[in-house]
Amino acid sequence: MTLPRSNGNYYHRQGLLSLFLMCAFPLHFWTLLLAFRDISWVIERTNVWDAIGVASYGMIYAFIESLLVFIVASLLGLLISRSWSVERRVALLSVFTLVISLWAMVSQLYFLWEVSLPDSILQALAHNAHPVRTMYMTLLTLTATTFVIPAYFVLQSDKGLKVMRDLVERITLLSMFYIFLSFVGLVIVMIRNV
Amino acid sequence: MRQTINRRDFLKLAGLLPLSLAAPRFMQTSLGKKNVIIIVFDAFSAYNISLYGYSRATTPNIAELAERAIVYNNHYAGGNFTTTGTASLLTGTNPWTHRAFELFGEVAPAVAAHNIFNVFKDHYRLAYTHNLVANVLLKQFRNDIDELIPRELLLLGSYGSFVQTLFGNDEDIASVGWTRNIKLEETGYAYSLFLSQLYQPLQDNLVKNIRSQFPRGIPTANYDDGFVLGQGIDWISERLIAAPQPFLGYFHFLPPHSPYRTTLEFYKKFNNDGFEPAEKPLSVFSQKQDKHDLLRRRTEYDEYILHVDKEFGRMYNDLESSGLLENTILVLTSDHGELQERGISGHITATLYEPVIRIPLLIFEPGRKTRLDINTTTSAIDILPTLLHLTDQAIPDWAEGAILPPFAPIVQDPDRKIYVMRAHKNKHDQPIATSASITMMKEQYKIHYYMNYPDLEKNGQNELISLFDVQTDPEELVDLSISHKKIANALLEELKTKLAEENKPFL
Repeated sequence: MTLPRSNGNYYHRQGLLSLFLMCAFPLHFWTLLLAFRDISWVIERTNVWDAIGVASYGMIYAFIESLLVFIVASLLGLLISRSWSVERRVALLSVFTLVISLWAMVSQLYFLWEVSLPDSILQALAHNAHPVRTMYMTLLTLTATTFVIPAYFVLQSDKGLKVMRDLVERITLLSMFYIFLSFVGLVIVMIRNV
Repeated sequence: MRQTINRRDFLKLAGLLPLSLAAPRFMQTSLGKKNVIIIVFDAFSAYNISLYGYSRATTPNIAELAERAIVYNNHYAGGNFTTTGTASLLTGTNPWTHRAFELFGEVAPAVAAHNIFNVFKDHYRLAYTHNLVANVLLKQFRNDIDELIPRELLLLGSYGSFVQTLFGNDEDIASVGWTRNIKLEETGYAYSLFLSQLYQPLQDNLVKNIRSQFPRGIPTANYDDGFVLGQGIDWISERLIAAPQPFLGYFHFLPPHSPYRTTLEFYKKFNNDGFEPAEKPLSVFSQKQDKHDLLRRRTEYDEYILHVDKEFGRMYNDLESSGLLENTILVLTSDHGELQERGISGHITATLYEPVIRIPLLIFEPGRKTRLDINTTTSAIDILPTLLHLTDQAIPDWAEGAILPPFAPIVQDPDRKIYVMRAHKNKHDQPIATSASITMMKEQYKIHYYMNYPDLEKNGQNELISLFDVQTDPEELVDLSISHKKIANALLEELKTKLAEENKPFL
C-alpha cells in the first residue's frame, strides 16, 4: 500500500473531520466515565431523570470543548511543514491530542483514586531547592517523551503512520457514536428547559 | 464588609423598579400593620448553639440578643433537608400535605397557593435565598412574591453565571452539570480535561481580594463560585430599610451549611479546645465516618456558626439602629439541622436524631425588653399561623400549625403531635411507601420510624422503630422501644394510622 504524498494543502475535509473526531474522543470518553460514576450519587439525592440531565449537560460541554481543542490542534497543524501529507499531519496531531489528553486524565486520576506520590519522591521534592520547578520540569519531560516517541514513528516510518491511521479509523467510529450521544444530550437539555 | 452597588447590581435592581413604584399602594392600604422579617440560616442545628446549652460558645451575639426575645427551646423542622424543611416553614403544613419530598422538588401543584406569601397579600413581599434548592420553592411561589431577589445578585461574580441565564428553567441541574464539568477545586477531578484546568485560575483571579479572608476557601452555595455572607446581609439590610411598608421579607442564607468555611477571624477558634462529644453508638445508616473526622467536621461547623452569629448580630444592630425593628417582627430560624455523630456527618441521612431536626427559633417583637423561654414542643409549621395572628390577619383553614405560645389565645393541646419527615424517594402524587423516615413527638416521647430502606433490607428488616424520652434523654442514647414496648406500640399505631390516612387520597 502506498501512502499519499503531500499535495501542498494543509488539510482536506476528511482530514479535518478525522482530527475533530480524534479531539472529541478522549473528552467524551472522560465525560461519560465520570458521568456514569456520578449517576448513583445524583439518583440518591434526586432521581434518574436529573441524573440523565447532569450527564446530558456534561456531553454538551464535552462537545463544545472538543470544538475548542480541535481549533487549537488544527491551528497548531499550520506550524507543520506543508511538504508533509495531510494524513501525516492529522496523524501527528492525533498523537498530540491523545497524549496530552492521557496526561490530563492521569492528573485527575491522582485525585480520583486518592493516590499519593511515594514518600521517597515527596522527601526528595521537599529537600529540593525548587520543588515546584522540579516537579513541572519532570512532568514536561514525561509528557514530551511520551509524545516524541510515537510522533517519531508516525513521521519517520510508513508502518508507524499506517498503525496510527488504523487507530484513527477505529477511534473515529467510536467518536461518532459519542457525538451522537452529545446530540441526544442536547435534545434532553432542550426538553428540560422547555 | 459593606459594598457599594456596582453596575451589574444596578441593572438588576432597575428591573425591579416597577415594583418599587407600587410602594404607595402598600403604604396607603396597610398603614399601621407590622413588618415581618424571617431570617433562615440553612442547616443551623439547635444542638450546636450555645444559647441552647451547647458547651462551645458558638453564639455569643445571638445569646445577648436573646435577652430581648422569645426563645423556643424545643423547636423542630418539618424535615431533615432543605426542600421538605423549607416547604413546611413556607406553607405551614406537614410534609405529607405539601408533598415537597424530593431534593429540588416543589410542593404539589394542587396546594401551591397555600404559602406564606399568598396569605400576606397586604404586605410587600420580598424573598431571597443563596440556596438553589430553596430557590426552587421561591420560584414556584414567585407569583405571590412582589420582589424575588435574583439568587445570583448576592453571589460573587463568576464566569459560570451564564448557566443561570441560559438554562433558567432547569437552573438547578444545569448548575450541577456545570460544576461537575468545570470545577476541579472540590474533588480534584471534573468532566472537562482542559477547560477545567483553565477555569480555576481565572475564577481565583476574580475573587483574589477576598480569598485571604477565608482560609478554608470561599463559601459556596450549591454549585456556584461562592458568596460572602456579610455582603448579602448588608445588601438585604439596606433593601429592607428602603422597602415599602408593611413588608414580609423571607431571607434564607446558606451558612452554616457545608462546606464549613468560616472567616479568618474564627478559623481554628475551637481547635484543640478539649471538647469531647458524647459517645454515641453507630447508626444503622452510618456513613462510617470515624470519630476523628466527625470531631474535625464538628469543629469546622462550630467555627462557621461563629461567623453566622456575628453576621446576624450585625444585621440586627443595623436594622435596630435604622428604627425598623420598632414596627417589625423578626424571626430567626432554620430549615433543618446538622449531624456530626453516630458515623454520620451532615444531613444527607435517613436518620432523624435531634441534631438534624431540632432548630433554633427566636422571635423578636417590637417593644420586648426581656427574654421569655418557651419549652413547649413547637414546629416549623407554627410560624405561618403565628405571624398571621401577630399581624391581625385571618388564618386559612389549610394551615396545619398552631399559634405559638405566648401568643396563642388558647392553651396548647397537650396531646399535640409534631411530625418530621424525610421521604426523598417518594413522588408527590403517590402514597409514601418507599425509603421514608418519620418521627412523631408526643409529650416527652419521640418515636423514630424508618421504612423500606435498602440499609434495613440488607439486615432482613423492612422497618425500624426506636423510642426515646427526649426530656430525660435529649442525646437519644437509651432506646426505650423494648423496655417501654406498650408505649412504643401505641405511638407506632398512631403514627401508622396517620400515615395511612394521609396516603389514602393517593392510593
